[in-house]
Amino acid sequence: MRSRALALILLSFLGLVDTLYLGIKRGKPVPCTITNGCEEVLNSRFSAIAGIPISWFGFAFYLTVFSAAVFASFGDSRLLNLIFWPALAGFLISIALVGVQAFILHAYCQYCLVSAILVTLILIASPKPKRISTIPEQAQ
Amino acid sequence: MLLGNLSLSRWRIFLGQVRKNASYFFHSFDYYSVTMSTSKTRPLLLIILAVAIAGGIAIYMSRQGSAETGSPSTAGESAQSVPVPSPGGGRVRGAPDAPITLVEYGDYQCPTCGLYHPIITELQNRYPGKIKLEYHHFPLIQSHSNAMAASLAAESAGEQGKYWEMHDLIFEHQREWGDLQRPNPNPEAVFLQYALQLGLDSNKFMQSMRSPATRDRVLADVTKGNAVVKGTPTFVLDGQVLPNLPTLDWFVDYVDRRLAANK
Repeated sequence: MRSRALALILLSFLGLVDTLYLGIKRGKPVPCTITNGCEEVLNSRFSAIAGIPISWFGFAFYLTVFSAAVFASFGDSRLLNLIFWPALAGFLISIALVGVQAFILHAYCQYCLVSAILVTLILIASPKPKRISTIPEQAQ
Repeated sequence: MLLGNLSLSRWRIFLGQVRKNASYFFHSFDYYSVTMSTSKTRPLLLIILAVAIAGGIAIYMSRQGSAETGSPSTAGESAQSVPVPSPGGGRVRGAPDAPITLVEYGDYQCPTCGLYHPIITELQNRYPGKIKLEYHHFPLIQSHSNAMAASLAAESAGEQGKYWEMHDLIFEHQREWGDLQRPNPNPEAVFLQYALQLGLDSNKFMQSMRSPATRDRVLADVTKGNAVVKGTPTFVLDGQVLPNLPTLDWFVDYVDRRLAANK
């Protein structure tokens, strides 16, 4: 559990940096060193939902994972035991966003791809859901 | 009666379970209120600290991009010494004897070039007579279906003496005709609208849009640019190709230093 929490802390921290970077750079030119077309992706009509840039949703996600993992490393893993579900949702959303880049925009943004990889690793590292019993006797 | 008894005993069991569950629930609250001060503040502090550090790294990274382009003092060292095409091609905006020359290889349909249009306009407005812009066409025909038409439109307007007016309209309304996801299927119609807006002779404008001579002029820019351009926009500032895309602040800083050195 401890190594799991540490891995999640590291991954979500990288995610925080990534999404904060994109949040700061919103509307400004972003250096695209590995891939081609950061501007196209980050300024496309898919880059925001109801005016909120997707990077801020990503930030909220990574903050949740990070908090859960930090609490788990302090002995309280209740939040971390539930993190699988948001991680799964994030993973599915990431697949959709990579699909948008590949098939609709035909342009890739390295920061978005990094985020997709991080979300995938987070999903792999997050504890798999167990059946939760609400009746304490069963645990005894 | 039997049925009633049965359901009553079921109820009793159910209530008992509810009570146990509830006490478990409230006890857990007890546990947390007691331990809150010690076991919750530390993780919370750690989370806040981590977000602050992540923000710091992100800000550092976001400045790095423009810093790499060089603080003006190092710009000369970091810029590659690619031979700059001799002047003659391109359109020049600003005083011809301005001490600073900024060459741009641009694609009218590229979003980044669109982002830079207000930056360069602002820069030229801030330092009237100090900077001249030499704009070269570099339409990326493969990915930007309307970029060539836009260059032709600007050149055609130029034939009637309104090159920069058209240049501004094209960039300012880039989304209208050059949205990369939904490029306007008939950009010529949009550019003709702009031409009418600028009071140009529409017949002459359309003739020029379709004339091979106009196309050749655009392609001559592309041929010149091929040696320098790695992507659009590419900027060449006083003979140095800028390896990265600078911010307005970087430009301002550079110009200030240049002008101070000239005095």
